[in-house]
Amino acid sequence: MATIVRADVTRELVAPWAEWERRYTQGRRLLEAGTYALTEGAIAAGCRVFAGYPITPATDIAEYMSKRLPEVGGYYMQCEDELAGMHACAGASLGGLKAMTATSGPGYTLMHDAYGWALTNEIPLVVVDAMRVGPISGITGAPGQGEFYVARYCTHGGNFETIVLSPSSVQEAFWLTIDAFNLSERFRTPVTILTDQVVSDMWEDLFIPDAYDALDFIVPRKHNLMMPFFPLGTADLDVPPNLVGQGTGVCVSAYTHTEEGYDIEEMEAQWAQTYRLVNKIRHHRAELARYETLGLEDAEVVAVAYGADARTVKTAVREARRRGLRAGFVRPITLWPFLDELFARDCHYVVCELNYDGQLVREVTRAAPDKGKVHFMGKSAELHTVAEVVAGLEGVARAGRIPELPYIWTEVR
Amino acid sequence: MTATATGTKTRTEILISGFGGQGVVRMGQILGLCAIKQGHRVTMLKSHGTETRGGYVRAQLVISPEDVDSPVVESADVFVAFSAPAYKKFYDCCSGTILYDPEMVEEIRPGAPARHVAVPATALAKERFNNVLFANMIMLGALTRVAGLDYEAMRTAMPEVIPRFHEQNLAAMDVGYTLPVATGSRP
Repeated sequence: MATIVRADVTRELVAPWAEWERRYTQGRRLLEAGTYALTEGAIAAGCRVFAGYPITPATDIAEYMSKRLPEVGGYYMQCEDELAGMHACAGASLGGLKAMTATSGPGYTLMHDAYGWALTNEIPLVVVDAMRVGPISGITGAPGQGEFYVARYCTHGGNFETIVLSPSSVQEAFWLTIDAFNLSERFRTPVTILTDQVVSDMWEDLFIPDAYDALDFIVPRKHNLMMPFFPLGTADLDVPPNLVGQGTGVCVSAYTHTEEGYDIEEMEAQWAQTYRLVNKIRHHRAELARYETLGLEDAEVVAVAYGADARTVKTAVREARRRGLRAGFVRPITLWPFLDELFARDCHYVVCELNYDGQLVREVTRAAPDKGKVHFMGKSAELHTVAEVVAGLEGVARAGRIPELPYIWTEVR
Repeated sequence: MTATATGTKTRTEILISGFGGQGVVRMGQILGLCAIKQGHRVTMLKSHGTETRGGYVRAQLVISPEDVDSPVVESADVFVAFSAPAYKKFYDCCSGTILYDPEMVEEIRPGAPARHVAVPATALAKERFNNVLFANMIMLGALTRVAGLDYEAMRTAMPEVIPRFHEQNLAAMDVGYTLPVATGSRP
């Protein structure tokens, strides 16, 4: 069978940094780690407070921050635990400064109370979760992708949407961190950067632009000094963050609140608050779409992956095409809100992720036109190899199923 | 199914492994920075046990004039083995040349002598510098020669990665670069 499969397929990157990279070319080229890029991205975005508790593989972010923040007039705060760290970030943000914390799964779980406070009170800040294999402490130096749903449901109680972004390279970690701060300011909500041990520990060539002050795409911190502090019942973007102190009179509370932020126990107030927390994100989904695709014009089998794992999967897709398969590639960069539209094509999907229980695959199954054509290739603690993914893509293309492979789980139910 | 499914020919894969404290990651950083200065794209995965010294360490480098997608070395062009466990564990990940330290790797697999280059880095480091810490720079010199990399560029990159003892480190690189086994018949 002589199918001709084009090798020069279309690659599409939909993300604001596609343009930033074209416009800013003066700078340094370094060999640096993902943790360095996440730190520098935050500094470039105007982050001036880091509060947190070190944990592998995010410790280097805290270490870099403790060196960099004093150099730019910022503050580094070593806290007693992650809960205190994120609350301190929320406090710093309410005080008018951009703030970030960084952790791994065990610490991310501890942050859920603080996450809820920041989320319901519309406090912008950025949280990095460098995922390692779990559950709980797992293995410190091995990658995992177990917090896909945890990041969506990053606090209890429901009635909210979340913004979660995931980079797949050191360079992307730099740009994406700036983007995360921008979105956090515009949407007035905490944003999670869901990265993994490989991206954070990996060293790669990294371009850092010369003058951060000259980057015109950075959303500056603004201050809301007047009522309504919480425009309940609206989905408006770009409402300036509230400022505590300075005589503004805004109140911050964990309870359902009024437009001033005072506690209230009325259903109408709860509905109005939920309307805002959910719809300020849902109504502006188009502003949040970030993804990469390859070869979707003729793909019969599309490999799906995010984060570091997407790197080997993408090479596998190119290799599969070289072997004559109509293979494609989808990498969601925005994980939440989930980009259903990426899975509109009626074809086979092979979902590769670093957990055995199957998380991303459930969302792809929900979004895909034919659930019977969604296949799972779960792996744990180690990236998929190119050879494994090629075998999976070939198996699905030829026999409609993933062949048995060591270390790969294919059952979701 | 083979483990060598990487189709792109433009990439060079280098795998370095040994014990913690032997300077495996330092070697990788110098190789990577040197390639970046020459306009290449570079990825380096480093994996290790929780120990700072004594545990196993592995650096996987991919160097390419184009974007590097997979950062995983599945079919190394050059494999540097600094310990017997590393040699055994990653032998199958290499399709090219294997540089090994015979003081650490006492037994090599039969059948493929042409692929193997014995670089007595630890012995030479003790003999010439009275310090085993220079073994990695001797190995880097030998690797630069065997892999046909730009030696002057490598000498320029080294001091940007290693903070101290530049003269001795350069001298150690020279020792490796001029070893007969490295210069041999290889380009």
